[in-house]
Amino acid sequence: MSEMWINMGPQHPMTHGLWNLRVKIDGEMILDVDPEMGYLHRGIEKISEDRHYNEVITLMDRCCYVAGLAWEHLYIIASEEALHLEAPERALYLRVLCEEFQRLASHLMWYAAFVQDIGLMSPFLYGMRDRDLILDLLQSYTGARMTYEYMRVGGVRSDLPPGFTDRTRKVLDWLNARFVEYDQLCLGSDIFHKRCDGLGILKANDCVAHGVTGPMLRSAGVPRDLRRDRPYAVYDQLEFDIAHADTADVTGRYLVRMEEMRQSLRILRQVVDWLDRHPGPVMADQLPRWLGAPYAPVGNEGYLLKRHYPKGLGFSAVEEPHGEAQAYVVNEGGEHPYRVKFRSPVFANISAARQYLIGYRVADIPPIMGSVDVCVGEVDR
Amino acid sequence: MQPDDVSRVLAPALGPKLLAVEPFAGMAGRVRFERGAALELFPRVRDDLGFRHLSMVGGIDWVDHREVFYVVWSDAAHQYLLLSTDVPADNPRVETASGVWPSANWHERETWELVGIEFDNHPDLRHLLTPDGYEFRPLLRSFKLHEPEELEVKTRHV
Amino acid sequence: MSTITLYSVAYGLASLLLGALGSILPGAARAAVTNVDVVTGLGVLIFAAILLAASMLNTIVLIWWERKLLGRFMDRRGAMHVGYAGLLQNFADGFKLFRKDTVKPREADALGFFTGPAAYMVTSMIIFGVLPISTGWNSGALPLSLLLALAIFSFAPLFIFVSAWSSNNKYSLMGGMRSAAQMIAYEVPLLLAVVAVVIVSGSFSLTTIVYEQQNYWYWGPLFVALIVFVAAMLAEMERIPFDLPEAEAELVEGWNTEYGGMLFAFFMLADYLRALVGSILVVLLFLGGWTMPSWVPSAATSFPLAGIFWFMLKTYLVFGVFVWIRASLPRVRTDQLLRVGWNRMIPLSLLAVFLAAVLVTVKCVWPFGCVPSMGV
Repeated sequence: MSEMWINMGPQHPMTHGLWNLRVKIDGEMILDVDPEMGYLHRGIEKISEDRHYNEVITLMDRCCYVAGLAWEHLYIIASEEALHLEAPERALYLRVLCEEFQRLASHLMWYAAFVQDIGLMSPFLYGMRDRDLILDLLQSYTGARMTYEYMRVGGVRSDLPPGFTDRTRKVLDWLNARFVEYDQLCLGSDIFHKRCDGLGILKANDCVAHGVTGPMLRSAGVPRDLRRDRPYAVYDQLEFDIAHADTADVTGRYLVRMEEMRQSLRILRQVVDWLDRHPGPVMADQLPRWLGAPYAPVGNEGYLLKRHYPKGLGFSAVEEPHGEAQAYVVNEGGEHPYRVKFRSPVFANISAARQYLIGYRVADIPPIMGSVDVCVGEVDR
Repeated sequence: MQPDDVSRVLAPALGPKLLAVEPFAGMAGRVRFERGAALELFPRVRDDLGFRHLSMVGGIDWVDHREVFYVVWSDAAHQYLLLSTDVPADNPRVETASGVWPSANWHERETWELVGIEFDNHPDLRHLLTPDGYEFRPLLRSFKLHEPEELEVKTRHV
Repeated sequence: MSTITLYSVAYGLASLLLGALGSILPGAARAAVTNVDVVTGLGVLIFAAILLAASMLNTIVLIWWERKLLGRFMDRRGAMHVGYAGLLQNFADGFKLFRKDTVKPREADALGFFTGPAAYMVTSMIIFGVLPISTGWNSGALPLSLLLALAIFSFAPLFIFVSAWSSNNKYSLMGGMRSAAQMIAYEVPLLLAVVAVVIVSGSFSLTTIVYEQQNYWYWGPLFVALIVFVAAMLAEMERIPFDLPEAEAELVEGWNTEYGGMLFAFFMLADYLRALVGSILVVLLFLGGWTMPSWVPSAATSFPLAGIFWFMLKTYLVFGVFVWIRASLPRVRTDQLLRVGWNRMIPLSLLAVFLAAVLVTVKCVWPFGCVPSMGV
């Protein structure tokens, strides 16, 4: 067979989203790749310029449909910085709760999709089943399963329902037991190792040069995690380890993500314990009216009437399930942000596709791209 | 790392082309430089200051001029640094950073197509998020959201 | 045991019908329709119709069996809504596919595109003509029925490749290439494993092979051959872990990417027909066919249609093992598959042939005992 280009996408089972991986192949060997993005471009950065600060949160859920709360968190931190506002401590813990739930949900979704990419059928259902437990918990306090709109500039929308922490502990125990099964189904299989070991290798230096972050970078032996290296919210008060592996291949990424889920369980236990002990407000007292404050603080009605536009720049970086997400919010004094810029970790991870795909086989594309964990919503924004 | 540390390293080499190093909350600082100094500045930031990881490139349209900003990260200092330069609106052009940080490649493609900033010597300046032949720059302030325009967009693969 | 056979039923039905027809017709016409050749011909046609109906019905039930088993393996219930426990779901799906439009890509080659699936389906179905199911259902009492069945079975790669190539789709072409490579590579160990059975039983006739297993089934003494046969059969049936030709993760749907509607249903049905044939061959060659060991109480083997009952039970259990493998293993890669095929399976199957030869020579195997009649 001579060389030819094939389009893997935009509708292809490998893509898990809407993008196009153009692959130049000779027989089964990959000679060149050229990812094409933009099929899901909705101009979220542009729409944000036309919205109130709290209205942008809706868009953040649509940024990444498996980790909406992590993106809300990212945006909230940056805009609070740009608006010079602070959220109460309980709200910060609730945000960490959200983000870790999202990490679990996202990684479970990744697990389900990844094992299906290498042809394992049953664990796909197991991953989806266990992800649903997380979604049920999220639904019980945010009211939604995928598009939450839970966080607010200056806090979070609502407190937890009664009995939530006990239910959470049950789910955490269940998941902890399931992860053993997950590992048996994958690592216990010789075919899994045949399909994943030594595949899609991206060494640490290449990762750094090409802006690759998250589990891909950690699987290359660089234990870099913004939750520890540049703590935000209340991560500096929580105990957890940074998962990392040295193989820099698909198996390494699998191990890193599984360990991250275990660490998430550990973090969540600490967070729900703290939330049990420390009741309190979840919204800042004094918020400018144009933010759409949920209630008028008693004795401070005059403040609400006064239009008060502070200027400021806000930057935030969050360890999203896929890697390192950043937001840059420019507040030029006004009801709307002047410019919002987001950095998606998957964007950078895909941009390095040439580095970790060329030289492998067509059949290796699904495991490799599966281990990258593509979420097109946040790439195209 | 503080803004003073940054300017101590950069100022001798760049001289007046380094406009200022301002403090920035949560970062090592915000380096403002003349756009002509890009090629001198980037290797120094990467090698001398240790910011080996370029995370983000973006552009802001300030109507009378445009701003290009770069966010870089240092593993040693565990800090971000913001680099920013102003380019005139009638000739929005700056040297590419992709020779120094390969990760700038896609970020610059995106900035080029959305904010309309030309990156000189970019290896592969094609449309990324918008279709080929799309001639609007959506993130410019002159692109109004509520005034739909007649678009004729070429498809990518015929 | 009654001597009613499937053919006698068909022949009786034909003579009954033609006799009734002849009784209302005038003399010359009566003689024409009750001619023995005409009756025999109609009997054969009815016989074929029964075979067709039985194989299709079994295939559809087999799909249901797979869906239910897979559902349980995956912690869900499988199809539940149409019919009892979803038993009629596949009929509903079949009718849906039947009603669908047949879409041919503009650039596809019409001849290959349409004849490929049809030939694939037909060749898969012909095999049932030579498979004995029980003493009464013994259409394949040919001296070389095993050889004939395997010969028809190995037609498939040709038709798969024709339909893949004529689809004019890169994914189809790659799937077709993989399919051809895989089936040719695994044809050799498959046949060598069969050779082991033939050496021990001394016959190419499936009926004889079954009767030779009266004393002990071959799965024990020919265990190596069984392993090789099942693995090669998995590859021939293109099921996980060897379903590379239609690996949906990278090749969309492999060689049947461009097919929809009834043509897709043809492929689907033919795939399961082949799966059924594979399971039946395992039962015939290694699990004693419709016979049961002597320690089974005679009440369990002497009721009407007992042979068919036990045969189908074994077949479905064997297929259940295939489903189990599908539910728990990932898919291998083409190069790994071929390497395993040429480097591991062929030596293993040669070993199986060698063991069979030893078995024939010593005529005894612990703990199954000795068989004086064994061998040629």
